Amino acid sequence: MRVRTFGYFFRQAVVSILRNSLMSFASVSSVAAVLIILGMVLLLGLNVDYIASDIESQVEITAYLADGLDVKQVSEIGQKLIQVKGIKEVKFVSKDEALKEFKKQLGDQGDLLEGIKEDNPLPDFYRIKTINPSDISEVAAELDNIEGIVDIVYGKEVVDKLFKLTGWTRLIGLATITIFAFVSIFIISNTIRLTVFARRKEIGIMKYIGATEWFIRWPFLIEGMLLGLIGALISVSVINISYYYLTKTVAQSLPVIKLIPFDSLLYKITVGFMAIGALLGALGSGISIRRFVKV
Amino acid sequence: MIRMFGVSKIYRNGIKALSDINFHIKKGEFVFIVGPSGAGKSTLIKLIFREELPSSGQVIVAGRNVARLRRKDLPFFRRKIGVVFQDFRLLPDKTVFENVSFAMEVVEASKSEIRRRVPEVLELVGLRGKEKSMPSELSGGEQQRVSLARAIVNNPEIVVADEPTGNLDPETSWDIIKLLQQINLRGTTVVVATHESSIVNMLRKRVIAIEKGRIVRDQQKGVYNYES
Repeated sequence: MRVRTFGYFFRQAVVSILRNSLMSFASVSSVAAVLIILGMVLLLGLNVDYIASDIESQVEITAYLADGLDVKQVSEIGQKLIQVKGIKEVKFVSKDEALKEFKKQLGDQGDLLEGIKEDNPLPDFYRIKTINPSDISEVAAELDNIEGIVDIVYGKEVVDKLFKLTGWTRLIGLATITIFAFVSIFIISNTIRLTVFARRKEIGIMKYIGATEWFIRWPFLIEGMLLGLIGALISVSVINISYYYLTKTVAQSLPVIKLIPFDSLLYKITVGFMAIGALLGALGSGISIRRFVKV
Repeated sequence: MIRMFGVSKIYRNGIKALSDINFHIKKGEFVFIVGPSGAGKSTLIKLIFREELPSSGQVIVAGRNVARLRRKDLPFFRRKIGVVFQDFRLLPDKTVFENVSFAMEVVEASKSEIRRRVPEVLELVGLRGKEKSMPSELSGGEQQRVSLARAIVNNPEIVVADEPTGNLDPETSWDIIKLLQQINLRGTTVVVATHESSIVNMLRKRVIAIEKGRIVRDQQKGVYNYES
């Protein structure tokens, strides 16, 4: 194919898009909708994985103590803990120390905690390290029997809960994406069908003149791919702008939650989504071309 | 150049359009296909440029058996044949120049070739100065000239015309026929289907007469019918 011929195909495609503006708009919106939802599910999933692995890497058990225990009781619990098999290190953290740590974690927003200094709601706890990180579940189960310990939290448990929560979100998200993907392929194939119909006279003449099948098909294929690409471009803009502000806001107001940095995602999502958009468009127009453009 | 052996065509709806057609049109001939409406002239023309396939018999055009043409060879086969229709079949949103250059773009001719060849052909059909007109601004005769220019712009070996003067007044019809004759003089084989006796009688070319799907007469330097 000559470069000039491609220019001709491209012009035909653009003219069609402008002429069928309403259907083109529907096609572009549907692709944008699919990709925005895909982007949301993807970002949620990636971030959950990111946060989960961060939590999981902390192979510590936090054993929260009941409120109002005296010093003797606390040290008794400490003694019992050391005797549990598989425990490497036990460290007591008082509620005051816990507050200080929390304040440090919050960084700039640490001032927020000033007000609760007098009436500290945080419990005392023991921070426990196991000899072997893989034993953590068994060790945690053992601790459950010790009197005075009200709650045991360890990384894996938090991660499991997180995954259970996001499992459903992902499933619903993927189902929505699949449905929307089919809808957008359908809308695009209809748009292309309209173009084919508007051009049927021209197509007929092209056949008499001796145009090859692909010469006739390319403009329609390009039209579909352009619709998909424009949709992708919109979705990528929306996702990138939203995620940029999300990471900024979270970093300011909830510094405890570490999201994947904006920059590292931008490029991959842009390239990937453009490819998906073009693919959806090509599939949509492919269906109509197969059915309606025959020599 | 065009041969038919025992060709018949029965359409899917059961209509028998042609039966046992035999003829041989040599390179450079000018042939009229005549006969009343519904005699099968259009079907015959359609068999030549492989718009339709014969139900039986052989159709050989430009050395190719049309029934054996593969799908991917069909476009290249059609480039050897220029087709002219009664209803012109021009693209209404393209200028005269574009309607003709379109045919060259389709076969991927270079820009310089197009710039050289299109004015040449428009000159030949007498449309110089009308390059930028839209088809709607032209008379019927002028529109048919554009369609003729489009048919010959890629230098086909054969030009087939199905009732090219059907929508035109007698004087304009005559101009179109003279153009076809001119094209024929340059070595192109020309086949014209028509039911206009005056033209056929004036030109004294080979006449193949069809009635009810059968060839009833094939005559050199013929006239439309015996009586006249």
